[in-house]
Amino acid sequence: MKPAPFDYFAPTTLEEVFELLNRYGGDARVIAGGQSLVPMLALRLARPEVVVDLNRVPSLSGITEEDGVLRIGAMTRQARALASDIIGTKLPLLHQGLLNVGHPPTRARGTLGGSISHADPAAETPMVMLAYGAKMVIAGSAGERTVEAAEFTLDTFETCLEDGEILKEIIVEASADEGTGFSELARRRGDFAMVSAAARIRLDADGRCAEAHLMIGAVAPVPLRCDAVADALVGTQLTERRIRDAVRLIDLNSFSFDNAEVSLAYRRHIAPTLASRALAQAVGRTGGLRT
Amino acid sequence: MNKRRVDLTVNNRAVSMMVEPRLSLADALRGELGLTGTHLGCEHGVCGACTIIVDSDPVRGCLMLAVQAEGAEIVTIEGATPVVGLSEIQAALREFHGLQCGFCTPGMVMVLHHLFSNNPVPSDSEIREALSGQLCRCTGYQGIVNAAKAVAARHMHQNVQPRETSQDHRE
Amino acid sequence: MAIGEPIVRVEDERFLRGEGRFIADYALPRMVEAHILRSPYAHATIRSIGLDQALALPGVHAVLTCDDLPEGLPPIHCRIPTHGDLSPYLQYPLALGKVRYVGEPVAVIVADTRAIAEDAAELVELDFDPLPAVTDPAAALAADAEQVHEAGNLAGRWGFDLGDVSGALEAATFMVSDRFSIQRHTAMPMETRGLLAYYDVGRGLLDIYGPTKVVHTNRNLLATMLRMGEAEIRMIEPDVGGSFGARGEFYPEDFLIPFAAIKLRRPVRWIEDRVEHFAAINHSRDCVFDVTVAADADGIITAFDVKLVTDMGGYIRTHGDVVPSHAGASFPGPYRVRNYRLDAMTVMTNKTPTGTYRAPGMFEANFARERAIDRLAQKMGMERAELRRKNLILPEQMPWHVGTESVKRPTIFDSGNFPLIFDRATDAFGWSLPYQREVDGWKRGRGMCALVEPSGLGPFEGVRIEVDQHGRVQIFSGSSNQGQGHETVLAQIASEVLTVPMEKVRVRHGDTGIITFGGGTYASRTAIIGGNAVYSASISVRTKALDAASRRFGIPVEELDLREGAIWHGLNNEPVAKIGDIARMLMPGNQEILQTPSAGNIPDNDGLVVTSYVRAVSAGAAVFAVHLADVLVDPATGETRVERYMVACDVGRQINPMIVEGQIVGGVAQGLGGTFLEELTYNEEGQLTTGTFTDYLMPNIYDMPPVTSLVFEESPATTNALGVKGVGEVGPSGVAAAVGNAIADALGTSVGLNTLPLTPQRVIEAIGFEVGA
Repeated sequence: MKPAPFDYFAPTTLEEVFELLNRYGGDARVIAGGQSLVPMLALRLARPEVVVDLNRVPSLSGITEEDGVLRIGAMTRQARALASDIIGTKLPLLHQGLLNVGHPPTRARGTLGGSISHADPAAETPMVMLAYGAKMVIAGSAGERTVEAAEFTLDTFETCLEDGEILKEIIVEASADEGTGFSELARRRGDFAMVSAAARIRLDADGRCAEAHLMIGAVAPVPLRCDAVADALVGTQLTERRIRDAVRLIDLNSFSFDNAEVSLAYRRHIAPTLASRALAQAVGRTGGLRT
Repeated sequence: MNKRRVDLTVNNRAVSMMVEPRLSLADALRGELGLTGTHLGCEHGVCGACTIIVDSDPVRGCLMLAVQAEGAEIVTIEGATPVVGLSEIQAALREFHGLQCGFCTPGMVMVLHHLFSNNPVPSDSEIREALSGQLCRCTGYQGIVNAAKAVAARHMHQNVQPRETSQDHRE
Repeated sequence: MAIGEPIVRVEDERFLRGEGRFIADYALPRMVEAHILRSPYAHATIRSIGLDQALALPGVHAVLTCDDLPEGLPPIHCRIPTHGDLSPYLQYPLALGKVRYVGEPVAVIVADTRAIAEDAAELVELDFDPLPAVTDPAAALAADAEQVHEAGNLAGRWGFDLGDVSGALEAATFMVSDRFSIQRHTAMPMETRGLLAYYDVGRGLLDIYGPTKVVHTNRNLLATMLRMGEAEIRMIEPDVGGSFGARGEFYPEDFLIPFAAIKLRRPVRWIEDRVEHFAAINHSRDCVFDVTVAADADGIITAFDVKLVTDMGGYIRTHGDVVPSHAGASFPGPYRVRNYRLDAMTVMTNKTPTGTYRAPGMFEANFARERAIDRLAQKMGMERAELRRKNLILPEQMPWHVGTESVKRPTIFDSGNFPLIFDRATDAFGWSLPYQREVDGWKRGRGMCALVEPSGLGPFEGVRIEVDQHGRVQIFSGSSNQGQGHETVLAQIASEVLTVPMEKVRVRHGDTGIITFGGGTYASRTAIIGGNAVYSASISVRTKALDAASRRFGIPVEELDLREGAIWHGLNNEPVAKIGDIARMLMPGNQEILQTPSAGNIPDNDGLVVTSYVRAVSAGAAVFAVHLADVLVDPATGETRVERYMVACDVGRQINPMIVEGQIVGGVAQGLGGTFLEELTYNEEGQLTTGTFTDYLMPNIYDMPPVTSLVFEESPATTNALGVKGVGEVGPSGVAAAVGNAIADALGTSVGLNTLPLTPQRVIEAIGFEVGA
């Protein structure tokens, strides 16, 4: 388990990064936290000629907030994000999702941008970003472009990043007064989910559901947005029963993942339960669940 | 092969080494610096045996390239061990039978070392979370958790404060 | 008093300080590194292996293939007697003509570094003709199945037919039949294997660092294969990061690395990586039981009728068929059932070969039997503990001859008061107390498993004890240590008998250079056989010391006493001599004790040194244990949470209670892994699909419930002087059974939960899907 040989560069500016990526094209891979790439190198499943390290580009890290808009550098460590008060208070769903990502030593190196760009269908952070409707700032030598989270993740391990581009920053609009919920079932805590669910709920002054978002992960190449469920909840007083009825509207036909260890039937069986839990937790965090 | 020079601090000593880019940090610590207390159990980042402290964080030594450690401050099991005898954490692990074959033990010591440096009186759930990324095949973790709980209880009794290390306040 | 004390372990300090010396920590000047090129195919004919490009890579020293193997090299033999002739299925160190599993060694690449050797491996041109892979024993037995070996896929068929099973089945009032599957999983020690071999050509000495478990057996086998003298090879056990039965057997690499070192005349080191380990280490379990259990109207179990099919993988290894053999011999468990029939088949497939893993055959058999007994209780309407209690072997029936045999040894339970321990276990757990059936929508269930774990098997163990002039005691043991704590336990025994403090006792082990014969470490035997060898040798040292003091000081030996590491006479305030003084007097050539010169006037003092070889009683020592579990189950998702777990057992006598508890708790953890998480799965092409720690899931800290060990010293073993029984395998042995029964109880189901591991999906399958409900 020793990687094939490669050359290594540790640029300190984005300009250098793009210059290297342009020079080496498809032979180059960027390394962020390395928690997925390095095992692939060791197994020789990834065999780049050149590894371009993003860890020494200071402008890629950090969390800032301005007028309710959070900008998170792609190289922000998962552990830093998890410990961040801003994220804990303004983007609680991200905090909840990160609690399920790996373990302290992998979170210490692993980055938000790395995890999102890796686009594992069972990963937590891409689903959270979809639930928030985050914007992804993509940078390359030609400049920057911004895409919606829903346009960023295309397929299993596939994003809209072109050769020579990297994810630079994630922009999320914090929504005040909402409750969030995250629920997942993995064989072991910290592992990738068999099914996961993320929910955001905002109530109006009368305690009715003003806005709802529900995502289901690990069932298809890209986390599923369940708008039918959300629509059924909006405008209603949220009770456990209402939630139980609404999650029946999850489109189980769009589930596609099926393997011997975790069958499609099983994923379909548990998804409504996990969705209910996430929604109930979200409602509870708004202080509005009525039994 | 194109070897690179890497300068770093390991266990409070400045060192430099010449490494191929493909060499993992754990392999470099072991092979180049002779620090064989850091063990490799899987080389793909799951087992945690190679966990070391890099710039104040617990990190998988097998998931960092040695070249990435340029300028880093690293603590390995050798650096978390007193010249003679055992640290408080190590002594507790012995007292509570928190090890058998001893292969995962350096990683366990390092995550506990990190935990207690920052949080002298961790809760039970904080102890478990700190240990959650470390696999042990022998003990069933019970002795390890009991050892950590005993250290926490002692600290509470003695009112121990977080260690003010230079690393923690560097930034 | 050292025996019975929970003394902290003498080996711990070096491990805690990071100063343990594991095989990857060893290096020698001029050393080169080996990498094993392994078959990417499960089943294929080898046409050619092209080496030119690999050999041309700078830094590569050699690539050895089957063409380089010595003429007439025998295959790796089976060290344990089997039920039939398994010789057609043995493995050669490198594939000859055909590969039979993914991971089978095809070539050895030796290079300056491991990384270069792996680079070279990619340059070797393998021209193989793939054949259909046989991955399922049932398919392997079909008439038109692809043959893994010319001798056929059915390697062995054997069994027992005790009493009158047919009659009992006909007469039965209650009967339950079901199938139970135990998945392929294995030991997975945290340290992978490794070897460092160095051949000193001039002296004709081959040193090999890295072997463990059965070093003398392995040394002798290697000597045969290399046609060398046994004492010309020295195998040296480093610190070893776990074995659990799998590590330390003689594997292909145990020939290949020394062979490469001889060929290259350089030290060759091979450190297995984790992916290799998955493909190369013995797998285990992987069997299916069809069980019929019958009972009369009073709840007396009248018969077990069992069919057992075991997937052996691509070759028969050193263990032969010991795993199904143990499973078959011990299937009736702690119950006095005289009608027992077994029809066992061992089947070859294109998967990694199999061998033992902690509680071999027992984890499997206990699961099948105890799940069936719960079914039977349900059918009879009898309380589950009561049914078991009613059928336990009684103390007055000891020793109990099961009537079966395993590896040519009769299965006998030497001693035990099973009902007493059973009652204490159920009382301590609160088995019969009512419990809340539902907690926050989760269902609670309670389960148990009663079992007998054989221990202390194998022919003998050897030890030599040397006391030096400073009163320091060295124990040279023929057994080995993979983390269990033998350096502490064996020292405790010597410390007790010789009355010297623990600090003055050192235990050396796992080294063929320090003692001529050795047994090794397996079958929970070291405390028993190794311990009794130390005990016996220590008593002989004491006798020798007292006798020497008697002669030296002219005091009758009956008036002398050994205590505090010195010889005392009566109530005198000062000792006659310290034990180190006696050791000095007994040194060859020492004049202090004048001996009658023997022929040739050679002084016949031979030191305060005693070698003792202790023969084991073939049936070993039987440990009775009860596992008890409370488990919560989420009926919506199939999630499970073991709330509390207890193992109650009678170990006869404890040497170190702390280590005993550690063995039990750690064993339970492994049992939980096998129950819920771990599985080595193959696809139809015979590729292992769970070949990394990302896919092969071992319990982490969140998977461990609180485990209580309740250890009794009620019935000392009658088969050894110390009265100890082995505790290494009691921990995992009953976990799947107790947990499976608890989940079934929680869900109130009388079907399902027959197939391990008990994943959330399997739990849901047991109660039925309600898709989209």
